[in-house]
Amino acid sequence: MPSLAIKPLVRRHTEIGIVLISILLVLVFTATSEGRWANAYNIGTILQVTATLGLMSLGVALVIGTGEIDISVGSTFGIAAIIYLWLAVRVDPALAALVAVAAGAAIGAFNGVLIARTGTPSLIVTLGSLMIFRGLAIALTSGFAISIPYKERGGFSYFILGGDKIYNVNTGLIWLAAALIVLTLMLRYMAWGNRLLAVGGSVESAHSRGVRVNRTKISAFIICGLLAGLGGVLEAGKLGSADGSMGRLMELQAIAACVLGGCLLAGGRISLIGAIMGAFVLSSIQSYLIVMSVQPQWFVLLLGVIVVVAALGVRSLRRWALR
Amino acid sequence: MSSNHPLIRVTNLDLYFGVFHALKSVSVDFHAGEFVGLVGDNGAGKTTLIRVLCGIYAPSNGEVHFDGKRVTNFHPKLAIDQGIETIQQAVGLCDNLSIARNFYLGREPVKRILGIPFLDFNKMRDKSTRVIRTFGLRDNVSADDEVEQLSGGERQTVKIGRAVEFKNRVLIMDEPTNHLSVREREHVNELAIQLKEQGLLVIYITHDISQVHKLADRIVIMENGEKIEDTQADAMSLEELEAVIRHGGRTVEKDHMH
Amino acid sequence: MAAFETRTVAMPTIRKLARGSGVGAIAGVVAMLVAFTLIDFSGWWTIQTLSNVMHFASILALLAMGQALVIISKEIDLSVGSVYGLSGVTFISMQADLGVGGAMIAALIVATLCGLVQALAVVKGGLPSMIVTLGGLFAFRGIIYVWTGGSVRGFPEEARMHWLTRMFGGELFGIEAAFFWMLLVLAVLSLVLWATPFGNRLLATGGDAESAATRGVRTDRVKMGAFVMCSILAGCAGIVTLADQPQTHVTLGELLELESIAAAVIGGCLLSGGRGSLVGAVIGAFIVVSFRYELIALGAPSSWFITFVGIVLIIAVVFNQWLARWAGHNV
Repeated sequence: MPSLAIKPLVRRHTEIGIVLISILLVLVFTATSEGRWANAYNIGTILQVTATLGLMSLGVALVIGTGEIDISVGSTFGIAAIIYLWLAVRVDPALAALVAVAAGAAIGAFNGVLIARTGTPSLIVTLGSLMIFRGLAIALTSGFAISIPYKERGGFSYFILGGDKIYNVNTGLIWLAAALIVLTLMLRYMAWGNRLLAVGGSVESAHSRGVRVNRTKISAFIICGLLAGLGGVLEAGKLGSADGSMGRLMELQAIAACVLGGCLLAGGRISLIGAIMGAFVLSSIQSYLIVMSVQPQWFVLLLGVIVVVAALGVRSLRRWALR
Repeated sequence: MSSNHPLIRVTNLDLYFGVFHALKSVSVDFHAGEFVGLVGDNGAGKTTLIRVLCGIYAPSNGEVHFDGKRVTNFHPKLAIDQGIETIQQAVGLCDNLSIARNFYLGREPVKRILGIPFLDFNKMRDKSTRVIRTFGLRDNVSADDEVEQLSGGERQTVKIGRAVEFKNRVLIMDEPTNHLSVREREHVNELAIQLKEQGLLVIYITHDISQVHKLADRIVIMENGEKIEDTQADAMSLEELEAVIRHGGRTVEKDHMH
Repeated sequence: MAAFETRTVAMPTIRKLARGSGVGAIAGVVAMLVAFTLIDFSGWWTIQTLSNVMHFASILALLAMGQALVIISKEIDLSVGSVYGLSGVTFISMQADLGVGGAMIAALIVATLCGLVQALAVVKGGLPSMIVTLGGLFAFRGIIYVWTGGSVRGFPEEARMHWLTRMFGGELFGIEAAFFWMLLVLAVLSLVLWATPFGNRLLATGGDAESAATRGVRTDRVKMGAFVMCSILAGCAGIVTLADQPQTHVTLGELLELESIAAAVIGGCLLSGGRGSLVGAVIGAFIVVSFRYELIALGAPSSWFITFVGIVLIIAVVFNQWLARWAGHNV
């Protein structure tokens, strides 16, 4: 019976579903688009979007791992992009990026501390900060876009912060790969990762074993804010401009990517590579709709359907594996 | 035992969860006016058997007869309507509702005004107040108080009172005295004995063998989803009872004891 | 007769009072009105401002009451803004074919279907409502985009003058009709919640679903009821809005899900389920909308409004939670 071999695999690797979906989508998209989807330029674009969305999804996955949720990442993304662009023309871009990422981490810390110290549901707190920082982003830009003049975009800092490509792929992907490796190491081989998943699995049990639940949660929120900020910097570096609505609805895409990637919203079970694959699938679909000149509006509709169907699919796959 | 005709008759009951064989051909009779202790180790199948009786699980094979009639549909609501009540430590009362509202939850009395069913607050309050007084809740607890304010023993008392008030015929108590103080435990056990004497069938699940040996008329022991012993409580000493549970079945126990 | 050692239950009256949900909202509204009066008397206490606030607060209140029902059942509905928009678009678009009355019914049917589909996915699919309604938020918004293609639609003159349009969008004694509809819904829903078996079961399902199920309550049906009612209320809010201003745009109702959750939470609904107040939700809506108008009156850029709602939301949720714990609730 083949299922005997597959079931334990599915049970341990929640990302199997998304890997299958990605392979299938790549095949279908390649076959049906007559080269418009599967060409070097388009794949490069998809990977750039995957990089920024993927960084955000990694952070959200960590928060989901602790059994909480962060829906403020889209606003964090926008704030970081604006801070980066505003500073980059005044000081060295590397310093600007550092400040922007630190701001992202600060927003994450704000969320985490409020949630952990007051015991308030994370959905509400991060909903609050979604609104606070979105309003701030629009107010700071007063409705206009801020940008870096094209001639000033040069030097290594710009290059490495999403401003250019190597081998046809945006440098943002390097950051995504680095984040994935570091976080995977932390999650698998450090006590922190063990504690993070323990908190998500059962707060009481983790607490009774002496895990500092609050600290663990706060750290997850900080990393989440930090990664969302980094995503914002890379996106700003690529576009060279940003307005107050930058990153809107991206929090929803990031959550969708995590769910697609096999992260359980109840906490305790996440897959980092799955979350990135989820981001890849979402950006592939978006790009497919564009190259096939389908109205881009369909993406919003599809995204909604995909979220629910993916959640259902992940759930039934897991149920089957556990039976 | 008050009558020859069993109130609940379980015959050759099998239950599978996927490939897991949770209940293995269990047959057992329960009579009205009887206090049956159901014991066994964790995972022995006690709670699973009970969940079939109160309609949460439907059996894979075998029959359940209630009051002489074969049960074909299994649903908690049907079980409650038939007068089978389950009392568990953790569930049964909603913290956020008043005692009166909890009392009638699921079968609220209504007064129709313009055809719209409104809750009959007077009836809910009067009846639940009378019951909590009869069952010995302290005087400063009112039926309008939220359950959240009650202690563990008081909660069990409300549940038992509710079971009696609705003219139940079967009272299943699943570890009813866990986490209770000594006095509260005695009170709950006294109430259970009273109910038996009023003619109810009481099925009492516990890990506390010495307690159930004192209380029960009959003891049913389960192990690995099977019934391994079914005996009058006074036909077996406490030591023998413990030995059976420890060694899992009479055969082993015989080798050991003789 | 008391069998157990007596614990003191006697608590100060004020603490008893605080056990009721919605007390925080009333405290909040008083504080807000005092603050607004002190800051800016002339801008706030004018007929024009108050009438605008009442109008939009009534519309948000319709959404917030639906959200409150869902939150009380321990779920959440993120799709109300899109359902509001989609019902509104249906109402306006179908008018040409079905007339005003028919379009209104069509809009309500669309809203009901939105609620039903999501409820089924939550209850039968066993998925977290956050994910399902997140999907709904996208999907229904997507339908609006695809359907209208981004175009603006409106009513012709005779439809604007139709008696049904006037009934939902007009005025009575100089007060917007929306306000009266909101009061009617508030009265009916409060009765349903506190004085009918359904309400009792809804509170029980949110408070402790497992216990409710052991009492024979069909918690899945109760939750479905809450979701469908929430979507229908969102549809009603859409109709009431568009009967007054019969023009749609694709962003109609965006961010309303956030505002409605904010209003419900400010009004004392606890996300832990089983506790909440419809009056509180209405007051919460009033607070949210008042902030918008006060900021406009103060001449702040409109984007600050979002920031303020966020701050008020966080303060309200922390305060309400603290209040509930202080009053002795286990949340």
